[in-house]
Amino acid sequence: MDSEIYIDNNSFIHRLDPRVKIIIFLLTFVAILLFQNPLWMLPITLLILIQLVVSGALANLRRIRYILIVLTVSSMILWNLFSTGETQLFWRITVESMSFAIARTLLMVLMISAGMILITSTRNEELINGMIRLGMPYRVGFAISTALRLVPTIASSTITISQAQRSRGLDLESGNLLDRVKKFMPLLVPVFISTIRSTNIFGMALESKGFGARTDRTFYLVLEMRTTDFIVLAFAIVFMLVSIYFAILGYGQIEGLVRF
Amino acid sequence: MSEPVVEIRNLQYRYRGQKGFALEDVQLSLNRGEFLMLMGPSEAGKSTLAATINGLIPHFHMGKMKGEVVVMGRVTKAYSVAEMAEIVGMVFQDFEAQLFSTNVELEVAFGPENFAVPREEIKVRIDENLNYVGLEGVRNRPPSTLSGGQKQKLAIASVLALKPQVLVMDEPTTDLDPISKMGVFEITHRLCKRDDLTLLIVEHETEEALFADRIALIKDSKLIKVGPTREILSDVDLLESLGVMPLGIPKFFKAVGVSELPLTPDEGVAEFRASGLKINESAYERMITEEKVALKQHTKPLIQSQQLSHTYAGGVEALKAVSLEINQGEMVAIIGQNGSGKTTLAKHFNGLLEPTDGEILVNGIPTRDQGIFKLGQSVGYVFQNPDHQIFSEKVFDEVAFNPRLRNFSEEEVKQRVTEALEAVDLAGQEEEDPFTLTKSGRQRVAVASVLASNPDVLILDEPTTGLDYSEQRSMMNMVRRLNENGSTIIFITHHMWVVAEYAKRAFVMKDGDIILEGTTRDVFSEEEVLRDAFLRPPHFVEFSHRLGYTFLTSEEMIACLEGAYN
Repeated sequence: MDSEIYIDNNSFIHRLDPRVKIIIFLLTFVAILLFQNPLWMLPITLLILIQLVVSGALANLRRIRYILIVLTVSSMILWNLFSTGETQLFWRITVESMSFAIARTLLMVLMISAGMILITSTRNEELINGMIRLGMPYRVGFAISTALRLVPTIASSTITISQAQRSRGLDLESGNLLDRVKKFMPLLVPVFISTIRSTNIFGMALESKGFGARTDRTFYLVLEMRTTDFIVLAFAIVFMLVSIYFAILGYGQIEGLVRF
Repeated sequence: MSEPVVEIRNLQYRYRGQKGFALEDVQLSLNRGEFLMLMGPSEAGKSTLAATINGLIPHFHMGKMKGEVVVMGRVTKAYSVAEMAEIVGMVFQDFEAQLFSTNVELEVAFGPENFAVPREEIKVRIDENLNYVGLEGVRNRPPSTLSGGQKQKLAIASVLALKPQVLVMDEPTTDLDPISKMGVFEITHRLCKRDDLTLLIVEHETEEALFADRIALIKDSKLIKVGPTREILSDVDLLESLGVMPLGIPKFFKAVGVSELPLTPDEGVAEFRASGLKINESAYERMITEEKVALKQHTKPLIQSQQLSHTYAGGVEALKAVSLEINQGEMVAIIGQNGSGKTTLAKHFNGLLEPTDGEILVNGIPTRDQGIFKLGQSVGYVFQNPDHQIFSEKVFDEVAFNPRLRNFSEEEVKQRVTEALEAVDLAGQEEEDPFTLTKSGRQRVAVASVLASNPDVLILDEPTTGLDYSEQRSMMNMVRRLNENGSTIIFITHHMWVVAEYAKRAFVMKDGDIILEGTTRDVFSEEEVLRDAFLRPPHFVEFSHRLGYTFLTSEEMIACLEGAYN
């Protein structure tokens, strides 16, 4: 069962220097937060969409589609309830609250997508390596990568465990909500136990290979900025500066929006 | 060869929160270039002892240690585990959890990186060690796409890249299938010839102990005996009393009354030929006829498959037109390598998987018309790892899970649980916390929880993996008893001796197809086909082949002997 997040596509984005990708990731966050109006978010949305397609991260988004759907629906409802405006659309919903809800939902989905693009196209080691060369302490970088590494481990043990429990008659598809929550116990306990057990061995293996034996450390992986990296980085920075310029001029806000 | 590399003096250890000692009064020294095999039953202290060599004890585990361990002049108490990593390499049983890179090369690079080895030198070490374990062809693959055997080889390479003086391996092959085992053993055979590397391996496979220089036996936290390999392996009674599997050949000759015991099939054949003993042909024929007659009693088909195929979503063809028939009351084994389709096949028996082509019938009805919930009443499936299903705080609740789901009255539930626990010899332990039981105890709870639904068929996926010899025996004796009481048993296993001694019939799978089926004796007599499926019968069976017969156990052979030993 293949449950890795990293997808070995060797796309244009895969080949970029991880430092560039991390910087773009951070810049994207800023760019997303600049505007309230969903129309003004379109350029960045388009850019992220292109990256999703090129890197193949769409496949990973598809895996979490249920989470995305739940988030989208609940965010659309919540932001409509917690804001209002002048032009009524129907019931309590106004044009302003609707566009604000769309923007907030877009913001969330875009942030998830940006993260997904980064981890779909960057090996764990490249990611830590990039973070460290950008100034993050090695141990912090390693901790982040370990957390990412756990995801596929947990996913694959969940599959085995749910098969084992279904063989014993566990039926997750029926009953009301409370029943269903209770039914997840037979899955959760073994998943926790097996995860704890394997992280314990992971810790031992880590130390047994000399993790943290010295303060200095070599990196086998060499990062090298190529021309394309500089071009992409320059493009991202220019895009960002232009966005900030418009934001300072006051564009991209929603007129008449009232937030509670 | 006389310079001690590892010195263990008056070692005593107790894990925090436990009353008893995990190690007591251990004295042991290892010389440069030596290969010591550490054997003993579960919970004897093998892994604990292994963990003291590189300082995981006392640094990683919580507990109290007395005495000292010195490796190459370094007292482990005074050095961190990471610092010890330069001289002591450690390979663990769990081949998944000890790898953490997304790329084979980087996995090997990790150790040297930690010691600030220059990049050029790391490159050399990667090439050298991947070559050594035979993984140069997959150097750019993510480890998660490798087979279990390849993962374990990678773990060995990644540790060797640190150029350790001592290599400790804690049950490196326990979770592997036979072909992967052979691959790892092949590496250890080369490693033990190296003079610069001292090897300490914890292992259950007695046939592999033949390659060791010395064997240390441990039980109840104490070293019972440390001695040269031949001497230890000849002490059949001692091994058996410690719960370590003795070799079949010395066991046989000891029962016959030989004093200088042969160990290997070669030695066995020579000894037998010289002994004046013979096999009584008519007794042998009679045994075979009786076996066939017994098998003919089972006539009611229970599981039938016709041209059963299964192709996974990703396009992997796991089963290719498999046809088989298993009758009520049988006890059959399914053997083959990982990836040969055994588990995929078995998952069709209880409806976890449905055929993508062909047909599978249980009790004459296609499984897809029955559904997994209904099928679960007649077909019980015990998964390989009990920890993947146990979730209750009490043994009773765990076993009562299924009957309660089926809405039986509490009285009926209680009766079923009691019966199931009696069947697995856990009566009286209803109130225990299953997580405090040993692996074999948890395995039994898992079996009981399936038995509680009173299935006609019991499928066991590797019921003996991770258990020691005596636990394996008692587990299989229990399964045999269930069979004698009317349950149909299907088990998947990598342990050939378990097949030889317990299965009446066997299916050999390779590449999604059954390539051989028949009585266990017939299957084991086809050495060529087995080798083709990368399976190897136990030494004892091989020994009897060379004499022109197929005996599955030494008891069988003794029953057919004639003539006197001279």
